[in-house]
Amino acid sequence: MQMPLSDTQAPGDAALLLAYGQGDLSAARLLTARLGPRILGFATRMLHGDRAEAEDVTQEAMLRLWKIAPDWQEGQARVSTWLFRVTANLCLDRLRKSGRSVALDDTDEPADDAPGALAGLETRQRLSALDAALAALPDRQRQAVVLRHIEGLSNPEIAEVMDISSEAVESLTARGKRALAAGLAPRREELGYD
Amino acid sequence: MTEQNRDDMTLGALFQAAQGQAESLPDPLFARILADAAEVRAARATPAPRAAHRSWLVDFGVLLGGWPSMAGLATAAVAGLWIGVAQPLALDGFGLVTGATAAGFELDTLMPGVDVLASGD
Repeated sequence: MQMPLSDTQAPGDAALLLAYGQGDLSAARLLTARLGPRILGFATRMLHGDRAEAEDVTQEAMLRLWKIAPDWQEGQARVSTWLFRVTANLCLDRLRKSGRSVALDDTDEPADDAPGALAGLETRQRLSALDAALAALPDRQRQAVVLRHIEGLSNPEIAEVMDISSEAVESLTARGKRALAAGLAPRREELGYD
Repeated sequence: MTEQNRDDMTLGALFQAAQGQAESLPDPLFARILADAAEVRAARATPAPRAAHRSWLVDFGVLLGGWPSMAGLATAAVAGLWIGVAQPLALDGFGLVTGATAAGFELDTLMPGVDVLASGD
């Protein structure tokens, strides 16, 4: 069972991680519910929509978090930044091993047969188009754009995740967005944006 | 509105849609992740068993109070050995009783030569 989120008085990620390091398993449950979905979403996009691989990566990233918990130094870095960094590296490793750096055309799309799901279908079509366009980007551009514009990380945070300068992050996101816009332009009308 | 602006707006709208996605983890994955957390916690709680057995001599030394005490004990033992070996010939005159069959435990028997000490000779 997954715990509900959004409590303004909820402890921060670092506090939860430290609590888990002391043996509190409910803290691990909260952290998983809070950070897990973001990691899974990010990994899925990095791995060209391969859900099974993304789940493996997510589990591996969280395992590394559990192991580092007793040594976590509060104030050193954000837990989410650390987790994104580990996830990004795991994804890049898998992409390198599989020899996949360019998008595949036949990404699996979940079928939606439920009646009255038109609104959901439109959203799904739009997201599918975005994911396809993202998959066509070089890995580092995709990583920067997803972290910035979908996961909402700041440029300094992305710089920490990718181990590059803030300026390099800006350059990557700018190039990535230009390429995305160019890739999506022919589909603008189809996606209902005109 | 320019084409560029339209493209940017489209992209912005798509990003927003993706941000709002925020799906929760599939239950089986959630369970696997928590199982890992429990396993890591359990491994931390029970440290790995000590490898080789300790020498009984080490345990004996610990019992006696560690190395400082052991050193003192060694010194005393060596001193005692020296005293025993380097027994002065003059001690013969103290009348160390050999083969005594006296039943009573007079002071003289317990401390051979004590009468000599008492007399001051």
